[in-house]
Amino acid sequence: MSSEPLLRVENLKTQFFTNAGTVRAVDGISFEVHEGEIVGLVGESGAGKSVASMSLLRLVEHPGEIVAGEITYKGETLFGLEEGPDGELREREDMLSNKAVRDRIRGNEIAVIFQDPMESLNPVFTVGGQIREFIELNRDLSGKEAKQEAIDMLREVGIPDPEERYEEYPHQFSGGMRQRVLIAMALACEPSLIIADEPTTALDVTVEGQIIDLVDDLQEKYGTSFVWVTHDMGVVAEICDRVNVMYLGEIIEQAPVDELFYDTKHPYTQALLKSMPRPDRTVEELEPIEGVMPEAISPPSGCRFHPRCPDAREVCQRVHPEPKEVDRADGYPHNAACVKHDVFDVGYDESPPLEKEPQLTASTPGGEDGE
Amino acid sequence: MGLLRYTTYRLVQAIPVLIGVSILTFALANLTPGDPVRLMLQGQEADQETIERIEAQYGLDQPIHERYLTYMGGLVQGDMGHSFHRNASVAELITNRIGPTLLLVLSAYVFALATSIPLGIIAAKRRNDPFDHVSRIVALFGVSTPSFWIGIMLILIFAVQLGWLPSSDLVYPWWSPETYGHDGYGEHFYQVIRHLLLPMIALGTLQMATLMRVERTQMIESLQGEYVKLARAYGVPERTIMRKHAFQVAQLPIITIVGLNLSTALGGSVLIEFVFDINGLGRLFYEAIIQLDYQLIMGITMIIATMFVIGVVITDIAYAYIDPRVTYGESE
Repeated sequence: MSSEPLLRVENLKTQFFTNAGTVRAVDGISFEVHEGEIVGLVGESGAGKSVASMSLLRLVEHPGEIVAGEITYKGETLFGLEEGPDGELREREDMLSNKAVRDRIRGNEIAVIFQDPMESLNPVFTVGGQIREFIELNRDLSGKEAKQEAIDMLREVGIPDPEERYEEYPHQFSGGMRQRVLIAMALACEPSLIIADEPTTALDVTVEGQIIDLVDDLQEKYGTSFVWVTHDMGVVAEICDRVNVMYLGEIIEQAPVDELFYDTKHPYTQALLKSMPRPDRTVEELEPIEGVMPEAISPPSGCRFHPRCPDAREVCQRVHPEPKEVDRADGYPHNAACVKHDVFDVGYDESPPLEKEPQLTASTPGGEDGE
Repeated sequence: MGLLRYTTYRLVQAIPVLIGVSILTFALANLTPGDPVRLMLQGQEADQETIERIEAQYGLDQPIHERYLTYMGGLVQGDMGHSFHRNASVAELITNRIGPTLLLVLSAYVFALATSIPLGIIAAKRRNDPFDHVSRIVALFGVSTPSFWIGIMLILIFAVQLGWLPSSDLVYPWWSPETYGHDGYGEHFYQVIRHLLLPMIALGTLQMATLMRVERTQMIESLQGEYVKLARAYGVPERTIMRKHAFQVAQLPIITIVGLNLSTALGGSVLIEFVFDINGLGRLFYEAIIQLDYQLIMGITMIIATMFVIGVVITDIAYAYIDPRVTYGESE
C-alpha cells in the first residue's frame, strides 16, 4: 500500500459521441493496481467495464474517446490532460505518444485476454505463429528463441504435445484450449499487467474452473498483476484480491474482496450478491435486481442506482454521491458511493423513503425537484 | 490428404460435370432447327438418294445416342470432329484461336485484381470519406455499364481522339518479334502491352468493380474482428494489421468470386473480341453459331466448359491453400 502502485487511474472519463447523444460509458472512475494483485472490475453488462479496461491501453474505438482523467503506469503518463493557455484542454507534454504506447506499453507492459477465445485468434494463421509474432514484437528474442518460448508457454498453460499443437490452427482447438492459448500469449510477452476481459464467460463451467485455477497458479509464479473484468461475483470471490464494483460508468464500491463480501457497504453490491445463484439457495430464493440498468446516455439524476435501489430515499434523487471512505480494512480503504453512510452527511436518515412503483411512473412524494 | 491428391481428386470429380455438359450441348445442337446435310450442300439441289448417302457417310442416320457415343469416342482421343464450313479440323481451329482469348481474359483478371484489392482496402480504411464515395460511384458505373460500351468509349477516347493506343487486334507474345517486324523483345513486349491495354480494361472493369466492393466489405468486416483488436492490443502496427492480420482473412470470398465470374469474363470476351477486332475463340464461337457449324459449336462449348471447370477447381485449391479450415475433402 505504501509503495507506488503499478497502475493508477484517476477520474477517468470515456465517452462515445453518437448521433443519439453522448454516451458516458466511463464517468469518472479511479482505482489502483499494485504489483502482484488481481483487481476485479465487476458489474452488469453495459456498466462500462470493458470500455474502462480498453481505455487503459488507449484502445477506445471510434466514436469513443477518453475525455478526462489521468492514467499513470510505472510512473509514466499513459493519459493525461492539462489546461492550455486559452483554457482549452490539451494533452500533457509527458503523456506517451501513440507510437510509444504501441511499441512500449501494449503487449510489452500490459497484455490482454479477451472474452471470446473463438474469435480472438486469427483463423488463417497457426496458433504457434500467432504467439511467436507477439513475442517477437514485444521481446528481444530471435525467431528461433521466440518459437521455443511459445512452445514452452503452451506447455506451461497445460496444452499437451505443444510442439505439435504449435503448428495447428485455431479451429483445431476447443474453446478452453483456445483460452489457454490466449493466456499463454499474454504471459509470453512478459507483461507486468494483464487485463482479462471476461476471460471465462464464454466457457463451460468446468472449463471455467480450470482456467481460473491455472491463472491463479501462473499469477503466483510470475507475479503478474491482473485487472479482471467480470460480471460474475463467484469468479470475483475465487480470484480477486481487491474489487471495484461498477454501475453505469461509475465505481460505486471499492474494497478488498473479503470486506466486499462480508461487510458490503453499497446496496447495489448487496443486490448483486443476493442475485447470485448459490447451491444453498433455490431459484425462488434468488433475488434478482429489480428493473434493468438505464442507458448511459441519460443516467438518472442523483444516485444513478436510486430507481432500482431498495434503500432509496428522497435525498438519493438529488444528491449524486462520489465514492468516500466509509471503512478501512487490511490497510486499504473501503470506499462506497452511497449517501446512507454517515460520512456523506446529507440528511439521509431524515429523508422520506421513496415509494417503490414497479414502472417508476407515479410521482414520488417530495421528489419533484429531480436535480 | 495432401494438396496434390486433393487437386487430382477435384479434377476427377470434374469429369462427370463435363460429361453432363457434353450430353446437354449435344442434345441442344441436335435440337436446333436446320439440317446439317442441307447446310453442307450449301443450297445445291440434291435428290433424296444423295442426301441419304451423305447421311450414311457421316453416320447421321444413326440414332442420337449412338452418334453421341461416336462423338465422345473421338473426343477422348483428341478428335473434335471436322468443320465443313471451314474444311478444317475443329481441334486445330480452336488451338489457333484460344490463345488471344486466354490472354485477354487472364490480363483482364490481372488488371481487375491489381486495381480492386488496393482500392477496396483504401475504401475500407477510409470508410465514408470522399474516397469511399468516389469508389462507390466508380463501382456502380463499372457494374452497370456493358463492357462493349466501355470498349467503344475507350476506342473513341484513346485511339480515335488522342491516338495514344491502337484500337484493334492484339500482338501475340508467343509469336517471335520478327513476325511483326519488331526490334527485339523490348519493343515486342511494349507492343503487346499497348495492344492489350484497352481490351483488358474494357473486359476487366466489371470484374474490378465487383471485386472492389467485395474487398471493401470484407476488409471492413475483418478489421472489426476480435483478432484485429487483439493484434492492436499487442502493439502490432496498423500497417501490419492491414497487410497481414485483416488482409488474409478478407481474401477468401475474393477467390470464390474470381472463380465464379470466370464464366462472365469468358462470355464478355465474345463482345470485346468483336469491338477490338481480336481473332479469339469468342468470335469463332459467334461465327460458328451463325453458320450452324455444329461440330465447331460442340467443340468450343466443351472447351469453354472445361476452362470454367478448371477455373473452379483452381479456385477450390487456392481456397484450401489459404484457409486452413477447409479440409481436403476428408471425412472427419
